[in-house]
Amino acid sequence: MRLNLLAGALVAGLMAAASADAGTAVRIGYPGVGLDDRPFAYGDYVAVAHVNELVQAELKDEPGVEVSWTFFRGAGPALNESLAAGQLDFAAGLGDLPSIVGRSRGLKTKFLASAGIHDPIYLAVPPGSDIKTIDGLRGRKVAQFRGTNLQIATDRVLEAHGLTEKDVRFVGLDMNTATAALVSGNVEASFGGSEYIELAKSGVVKIIYSTKNDSPTLGRNSGLFVTEAFEQAHPDLTAKVVKAFVKAARYAADEADRSAVFQIWSKSGLPVSTFEADFSDERLAHRVSPVIDDYIVARYKDQAARAKAYGLVKKDVDVDGWFETKYLKQALTELHLENFWPTFDAKGEKVTDGVVEQTKVSG
Amino acid sequence: MAGGRAVAAFPLVAGGGPAVRRRAPEAVRRLATGLVVPAALLAGWQVTAANGWLPEQILPAPAVVLQTARDGLDDGSLLAATVTSLGRVARGFAAGGAAGLLLGAAMGLSPTARRLVHPLFLALSQVPVLGWVPILVLLVGLDEALKLIVIAWAACLPVVLGTMQGIRDVPPAYLELGRALSFGRWSQLRTVVLPAAVPSIFTGLREGLANSWQTLVVVELLASYEGLGYLMTYGRQLFQLELVLVAMAVVGAIGLVLHLLLAALEARLQRWRPAAGS
Repeated sequence: MRLNLLAGALVAGLMAAASADAGTAVRIGYPGVGLDDRPFAYGDYVAVAHVNELVQAELKDEPGVEVSWTFFRGAGPALNESLAAGQLDFAAGLGDLPSIVGRSRGLKTKFLASAGIHDPIYLAVPPGSDIKTIDGLRGRKVAQFRGTNLQIATDRVLEAHGLTEKDVRFVGLDMNTATAALVSGNVEASFGGSEYIELAKSGVVKIIYSTKNDSPTLGRNSGLFVTEAFEQAHPDLTAKVVKAFVKAARYAADEADRSAVFQIWSKSGLPVSTFEADFSDERLAHRVSPVIDDYIVARYKDQAARAKAYGLVKKDVDVDGWFETKYLKQALTELHLENFWPTFDAKGEKVTDGVVEQTKVSG
Repeated sequence: MAGGRAVAAFPLVAGGGPAVRRRAPEAVRRLATGLVVPAALLAGWQVTAANGWLPEQILPAPAVVLQTARDGLDDGSLLAATVTSLGRVARGFAAGGAAGLLLGAAMGLSPTARRLVHPLFLALSQVPVLGWVPILVLLVGLDEALKLIVIAWAACLPVVLGTMQGIRDVPPAYLELGRALSFGRWSQLRTVVLPAAVPSIFTGLREGLANSWQTLVVVELLASYEGLGYLMTYGRQLFQLELVLVAMAVVGAIGLVLHLLLAALEARLQRWRPAAGS
């Protein structure tokens, strides 16, 4: 009995120590790293907020508030573990599947803003491979970064082509290891993001499929989340952090900033040409938007249902009660961006036009 | 003198006939003592989970873990993973153990072989098993071969050392006796050297088996699509810690059973010895 009390006191003490720190810290986690584990993001507005230190700037009048960024090589699954351990306040750019998995396991977060949508995935194979289509993956050894939004995007692509995970021999590898394994011939194919574009250009791999040319709903989604504990304790700080990210999104979605944004993303180690190819024939705002409209809500409901159908989560996930959009609305109003992005209904039909659609590449 | 006193004191403690009857309660008591700490940990786990002292994502309740184990048994995934892992260990340990016995015997019996191989062997054995993985991946890829080689190597090391030491430590008096009975080389080896070396060889085998079982989990964590180690990574990446705990329990239980089986085999091979400690 006394032992129990002691253990309880110990755990309570540890938690008190952890939450005392949280009072003055804004700890942001990002589910990924750049090339060779560089602590930089790419492909979203979170990278712009990080590199241009917009969160720090927004909080500069808050005495004693420290902003820290952590980049997880283990991506969403590792970020979730850190959230569960109480080591993070914000998850910026967390993918749909890991955030849904976290919510199904009782992680207490609020969905503040969208951090990205329509992020395409590519299927890369060695140059001499006889795999020509998704169907050609049957029985093949394919790299997969499990628990990330890449997994559910992969599963959806397979389903769209009449396959399931069981038809393919998936090897669990993280992003950078998967690339190495593909290049050295240890796996026969790998799903991934824009990382493969440069390798394809130099002839090391061949890209045989991309969701860019398939259904737009097959792309990856990500969001900006805050822990419920932080949001309740510091609604004012939460509002400022959201505002900083909306400023970043405003910048990253504007065609006038296209080359500047690609420059910022290239701090990840991927060359500017990768982003030029990744975004070819596609406007920045098609992927970069913080707006939570019916289309986003529908995407997450669909992903949650499919995650359960694929056996990736065990429980139904309540999506409706997850969103907390008052900070986003406040930021959009304060920054006069209410009509900056277009909005869409659940089916993807446009409801309102956005100013961003008229922006033009400068110079 | 001391030995004499111990012999004299023994009947007083254990008694002659009653010794047999007293052994059963002794075994029960030992088993019970061995269960005290696990039971306390289990109770602590249950209390911690019931009071929510740790987030459920980090420490699922025992009942949840049990249910996950049942689910895994029902859909066959747990059994399939266990069979895969056991198969890998069986093949890796058989290869590594056999190689270890041969190499150890050669180094124990032949001073020349020992001088040739022993220093290099000692140096190589200092490299942790995982240290070999990067270079092995380049040589043999990520497939079964990698896993078998790593497991075999992990199993081989203690077997070599145990076998060599066991053969070198055969009491000279035994060898003397063999020579006096004019045994040939083969009879000397079979009837004198190997039986005398059994305890040391088995210490090596037990360690080798434990090594290969532990290494298996590590290599399955690396890159695979089946097995208990795979189940652990999968559980971690999909935030199902109960799946990780189930796999851990199976790994631990099988390791214990394998250990006990080898101990029983050793006891059988040692029946010729008068009594332990003599």
